[in-house]
Amino acid sequence: MEGAEEELERRSKFLKSLIQKKKTIEQQEQHDHLQHNNVRVRACDMPLPLQSRAFRCARDLLDSMPPKKLDSKRLALTLKKEFDSSYGPAWHCIVGTSFGSYVTHSLGGFVYFSIDKVYVLLFKTAVEPLDHS
Amino acid sequence: MSEDAKKNIAGALTARPNSDDQKLSPLPSPAPAVPPKKVIIKSADMIPDMQKEAVDIAVAAFEKYNVEKDVAEQIKKEFDKRHGPTWHCIVGRNFGSYVTHETNHFVYFYLDQKAVLLFKSG
Repeated sequence: MEGAEEELERRSKFLKSLIQKKKTIEQQEQHDHLQHNNVRVRACDMPLPLQSRAFRCARDLLDSMPPKKLDSKRLALTLKKEFDSSYGPAWHCIVGTSFGSYVTHSLGGFVYFSIDKVYVLLFKTAVEPLDHS
Repeated sequence: MSEDAKKNIAGALTARPNSDDQKLSPLPSPAPAVPPKKVIIKSADMIPDMQKEAVDIAVAAFEKYNVEKDVAEQIKKEFDKRHGPTWHCIVGRNFGSYVTHETNHFVYFYLDQKAVLLFKSG
């Protein structure tokens, strides 16, 4: 029985170290990603994969726009639609160079970041079923 | 012979010129009234009474706070209180947005140079 306990303990430690390594690697990749894309996270409550998705989407669209010509509404629309279709409704997006906000968001559905000189607020709210009255 | 003592009346009248360069002291002008903020409803899916309420609350918030985030907070919380959760508010000089809102619960307006986006969702 003692042999079994030792084996379980060993496996448990091994798994924990694997998980920790994975987290470290993910964080490092995230950091590299941010640096490369000139992204700075200002506030966040969102899983890494979703964050990366938002940054990549924003980066790609900004790169496709003429330099020094920001189309805030188009970027907001693109991000919102992508997240609505990928992670379910309802997402909301605000893009601009000068704004303040106060919102309530779903758990894990909030990120506020800057990319180049643009600020992006992307957040999710719970969707209530339509009232068929 | 009689001696007549003649009196010489020597009256020298010197005319003094009247100067017309009297200075007029300027009347203090009344303090100019603060002009009311210019309101432009850009887009709305909201009953008129609620729209007016949003504008009034925003005007009061701008008078009270300087930071856009504080203005947004004041407006959102007031609407959460009066019309039930959950409201969201964005205030600023430069931003674009795309949101999903509940029917009849969306307004986007300008107060002078500042835009206010207020909507209900969730």
